[in-house]
Amino acid sequence: MDRSPGELLRGYAFLVPLVLFLAAFVLVPIAGTFVGSLMQDVTFLPQRFAGAENYRALLSDPGFAQALRFTVLFTAASVPLELALGLAVALLLAHPSRARGALRACVLIPWAIPAAVSGKVFQLVYNYNYGLANYLMNAMGVVDRPVNWLGTSAGAFLSLVVADAWKTTPFVAIILLAGLSGIPGHLYLQAQIDRAGFLRRFTRITLPLLSTVLLIALLFRTIDALRVFDLMFVLTGGGPGGSTTSLSLYGYNYFLGGDFGYGSAVSVVLFLIALGLSLLYIRVGRFARELS
Amino acid sequence: MKTGIVLLALLSAWLPLAAPGSAWAEGRTITFAVGGAPSELDFWEQLLRDFQAQTQIHVELLRQPTDTSLRRQSLVVALNARKSDPDVFLMDVAWLAQIAASGWLAPLDALLDKGGCGERSAYFPRILAVADTFGGKLVALPVYVDGGLLYYRTDLLRKYRLGGPPRTWAELLRASETVQKGEKRKSPTFFAFVWQGAQYEGLVCDFLEFAGADGGFAVVDGAVSVDTPGNRKALRFMRDLIHKYRVSPPNTYTEMREEETRLIFQGGNALFERNWPYAWVLHEARGSRVRGVVAVAPMPSFTPGRGVSTLGGWHAGVSRYSDAKEESFRFLCFLGSYAVQKKLALHLGWNPGRMDVYEDAEVLSRMPHLRSLRGIFENARPRPIVPYYAQLSEILQRHLNAALADRSSPEEALQAAQREMQAIVSRYGR
Repeated sequence: MDRSPGELLRGYAFLVPLVLFLAAFVLVPIAGTFVGSLMQDVTFLPQRFAGAENYRALLSDPGFAQALRFTVLFTAASVPLELALGLAVALLLAHPSRARGALRACVLIPWAIPAAVSGKVFQLVYNYNYGLANYLMNAMGVVDRPVNWLGTSAGAFLSLVVADAWKTTPFVAIILLAGLSGIPGHLYLQAQIDRAGFLRRFTRITLPLLSTVLLIALLFRTIDALRVFDLMFVLTGGGPGGSTTSLSLYGYNYFLGGDFGYGSAVSVVLFLIALGLSLLYIRVGRFARELS
Repeated sequence: MKTGIVLLALLSAWLPLAAPGSAWAEGRTITFAVGGAPSELDFWEQLLRDFQAQTQIHVELLRQPTDTSLRRQSLVVALNARKSDPDVFLMDVAWLAQIAASGWLAPLDALLDKGGCGERSAYFPRILAVADTFGGKLVALPVYVDGGLLYYRTDLLRKYRLGGPPRTWAELLRASETVQKGEKRKSPTFFAFVWQGAQYEGLVCDFLEFAGADGGFAVVDGAVSVDTPGNRKALRFMRDLIHKYRVSPPNTYTEMREEETRLIFQGGNALFERNWPYAWVLHEARGSRVRGVVAVAPMPSFTPGRGVSTLGGWHAGVSRYSDAKEESFRFLCFLGSYAVQKKLALHLGWNPGRMDVYEDAEVLSRMPHLRSLRGIFENARPRPIVPYYAQLSEILQRHLNAALADRSSPEEALQAAQREMQAIVSRYGR
């Protein structure tokens, strides 16, 4: 590379606005939260440096352990489901048909609805007295008594996963659809000439060429699922018995109670988990690409 | 999370600039934060206009949601950022201590002693002492007091010849089983007793009333007491109402909050309802299916005469960061005045924070039940008045709800709750 220093300088100058933007809206809040997590920052107590006190308290806090367990399980259950469903929807939508435009628009609707609103929608589905789910079950004669969908930990967990999948599958589908449209059509044509069946075309052409986009979708969905808040906030309030309290909701409750230090510590742990997983994904993705 | 709060703070800092009324001279305009149903907020607008006509002080209404946690959130964000707005706001008695202990409230003693705000003796003395006084200073005034009540259907009790309202939980259970057996045949959605069991603050209030004076929840000298025989008995009874006797709906611990129970009772689908006094006006409104056949009674207890009501209600205070304290104090006095308290009672069905309004002939003719409520409010039990009550309550709610869901036994639940709450007290209670 033989670039003049002036040219280099100009290049960096172009980067400055972006770096400033990222610093103001990403780096500073993260650093601020981290510093906050090391403080006794409680509105009704004197502010002081507390070192690792908040983190030590987290370690022995059963509520935090429960929230951590739920958040990890929720992510592990909802993300693969959403990726599988999203891939299926994307494959269907990639098929040329006259209604494709309209179908694509329809699929996007759940994604366009704010999560809190979709939480309210699912409240109408799961409600014990007037919910759609009980109405349908009753109409089909499957049950003679209404089911309390959100009444057991497992029921509430699955209900939340279903609601989350309904909302975010379109997001995965659209990203993957973009990836699919980037695969040259002649590859499929050649494969068909070689009499490769659907499954073979899917595993040999579609999946390998889609892997980068899949990784991106996986990354986005994992981070989003880890910091899930609105769905539980609206649908279960974290119940029954705190079994569906996500880390974000747990941290929020402490912010509400005026303990910003402890809430920040919860946020930092959540951030580190998300960061760790993202790095892992990228590492694994790069490794897989080098193998092939 | 933090980003969200920063953004919120930025937004709220910007809003007043864009809001109408910013043309008013600084200092003559105050902001009043209050939440509630749209009809309530419309009534507030009207009151603010009255105040402006009397005093030439312009009051901006900062509309908050109905939900108590969201109302607290918007106050905590603004006050923690030392914003001068809102100047005056309403606080739930459950989190007043948090706001007061954070030093965000202007003391009111001088104001009341000057006599510019009516007589101190007009207010419930015990409520002023336990809820509105913090660190020896008066920091708020009760605008509206609350206590849990037992609503019951007079027609059903008569139909099944059950006599008066139950005085003990055993009587309540007997009546519930009898009536539910008969009514369930006609309407399968009938449940005899509805109360608040979802995982939220209301569950703690109900729990304390189930336990009555034989149980209780207190923090004394840094020690939490909640795992007591009386409380265990109460929690067992609450769980059994749902799972064993089945006189309370199965979704009690997932969906039942005040409004859910009110709607079930108002639809004629329950015999007993535990709720706050606000439900009275609505039960008696036109279109209610229980109009004319509802009555209220004090909460029952395990041993007769040991029933308690949990103290609820909303109190008004002035922000320490207010840039118009004189005007804010005048507005606070306006809120506490006889005329306004009477209006709030007549129009919103709110129970006055002043005792003298309970003797007003017009109020009593429209709300005869107020006569019996006054005694209930005078003896209502506060939840622990500590600044970290929210953290304690979050733990207690979680474990109570787990017991109601039959995920843990009442004994385990209360034991774990006490242990975890004790850790909170040692962390904050220094």
